[in-house]
Amino acid sequence: MKRKPFAYLFAVLCLGVFLYSQALAEKNEGPSPAVADEKLTLVQAAMCEGIKDYNPYNEAVVFSRTIGKVSCFTSFDPVPEKMFIYQNWFHRDRLSTKIKLFLQPPRWSTFSSIQLREADKGPWRVEVTDQGGNLLHVLRFSITD
Amino acid sequence: MSELLIFLSSVRWQDLVDVTLSSYILFRLYFLFRGTHVFRVLIGIALLWFSQRIAVSLGLIVTSWGIQGITAVAAFIIIVVFRNEIRSVLQAKNLKSILWGFRYVSMSTPVERIIESAYELARKKIGALIVFPGKDDLEEVVHSGIPWRGLVSKEMILSIFWHDNPVHDGAAIIQGDRIIEVGAILPLSRREDLPSYYGTRHRAAAGLAEATDALVIIVSEERGDVAVAKGAEFDVVGRKEELARILRHHMGLPLVEEGYPKKQILRLGIAALASFLFIAGVWFSFTRGMYTLTTLEIPVEYTDVMAGMEILDTSVNAVRLDLSGSGALVKSIRPEQVKVRLDLSKGVVGPNTFNITHENISLPPGVVLKTVEPPTVEVTLDVPMKKELPVQVDWVGKLRKDLILAEAKVSPKRIRVVGGAQIVDGISTIYTEKVPLDNIHETGAMTVGLALNPASLQISPDSDDRITIKYTVKKRVE
Repeated sequence: MKRKPFAYLFAVLCLGVFLYSQALAEKNEGPSPAVADEKLTLVQAAMCEGIKDYNPYNEAVVFSRTIGKVSCFTSFDPVPEKMFIYQNWFHRDRLSTKIKLFLQPPRWSTFSSIQLREADKGPWRVEVTDQGGNLLHVLRFSITD
Repeated sequence: MSELLIFLSSVRWQDLVDVTLSSYILFRLYFLFRGTHVFRVLIGIALLWFSQRIAVSLGLIVTSWGIQGITAVAAFIIIVVFRNEIRSVLQAKNLKSILWGFRYVSMSTPVERIIESAYELARKKIGALIVFPGKDDLEEVVHSGIPWRGLVSKEMILSIFWHDNPVHDGAAIIQGDRIIEVGAILPLSRREDLPSYYGTRHRAAAGLAEATDALVIIVSEERGDVAVAKGAEFDVVGRKEELARILRHHMGLPLVEEGYPKKQILRLGIAALASFLFIAGVWFSFTRGMYTLTTLEIPVEYTDVMAGMEILDTSVNAVRLDLSGSGALVKSIRPEQVKVRLDLSKGVVGPNTFNITHENISLPPGVVLKTVEPPTVEVTLDVPMKKELPVQVDWVGKLRKDLILAEAKVSPKRIRVVGGAQIVDGISTIYTEKVPLDNIHETGAMTVGLALNPASLQISPDSDDRITIKYTVKKRVE
């Protein structure tokens, strides 16, 4: 019976140590380094005449109107979650079209195209932005005869 | 009545000053030269000019041409022929008397006092020579005179010719109410027809009278008589009234003493009124007569742009003004006399519309603005700013079908431009001038300029205005 107070004190100390360790564990909790690296990254962007086998072909900065269309190819790795990007096509400084493209994790390639007309001749640019509107890349090219 | 009111409302304060000032100048010219030959000739020229205008209006070609020629050289003739008169008028007076002095006070030669003095000298057998200059300048013929400038009085004249006075042998010259010189030596006459009893004093009087248009009174010391010499005439004058008439005639004074200066004032008043009417008539004929229209293209001067702002664009750089006025005025308008100034101090950033009103246009006096075309001007103002822009090549033409232009790198990649904030804000890329593809067959480089659009855009002085393009050409993959 004499040893009961010590047992009670030991139990209280054990509880204190447990609660303190829990508090420390909560304070240090955050994203793990592996999760932090999961940021949308553009690994390839190119203007091309078309897409073949999931890759752009005839990448160029000048396209003849006679080829009929021009494409903007973009590839992302990693893609942390399901999300989307925008490809904004500008003829000179005037926005011509804004195309929304969905991305799937863990990596994804996508493209948009425009049909070429006589009136489309001149300098163009495509601004690639994330879903928050942050500029990721600018591609510049010309449509000629 | 309403026409009169319209006319009066169209008269500007400048017109009133113009007519008043010109009338006064004409009146002063009359006042300074009245009674002289110059004045008579001036009137003659005015009549000639008037005749010439009538001849023109009647279509008399040769007559108008002849009168015009005479009138044109008349001014020159006046200066040459009447140089002595003009000099005496201008030299004898100070600036005050030329501009606003009235000579009638000094003109009032005390004829009666002089006559009394002359006959008193004669009674006392005191010899005397008194000269009254005409229009001719005496300086060249009269010598050794002592300036006096004393007021004429009987006592003064008696004392000048008193035996013991050192200057009693010379002549006294009287002009207006003053004895201007005493002891003057006159040129002696060489005439043979003068009586043998005439001494040196008489010969001196005759000599001056022959050489000039002056009148000389001679008081004989021996015989105690009074004689007058003028021109070739030499007469003894026995009666005071006769001498008074001769003197008054010589001085251009009325033969009978008039209520002076009332009549003088009346005469001057009439002259002033005539001057005013004449000038008003000339002014009216110049500004109201012969209604003529003309059209001028005048550049607009933009002024007082607010600090920090600049003119980006204007709808017009010049306006067309339809002007009217008398034929003489309209024909004499030179484009540099007409100004169109637009005050931009109240302009704001962006497009502004300004009305062109009479306040914006300065015209020569007497010319009236009818219409302005266009009546408004659009002025775009902006605040200049600097912006760095990426450079992009503006390719044109056609590349060979088997080739693709895979890459093109520009250097420098970015250029700083200066322009209006509104314009620069809307620009995100600056393009090169058009670069043709037709001659590109392989990888290479070239240097091109920049295309600045709009033209108000400028490349910042700290930026390069030439762009180097390094391009890569590849074979097309089919």
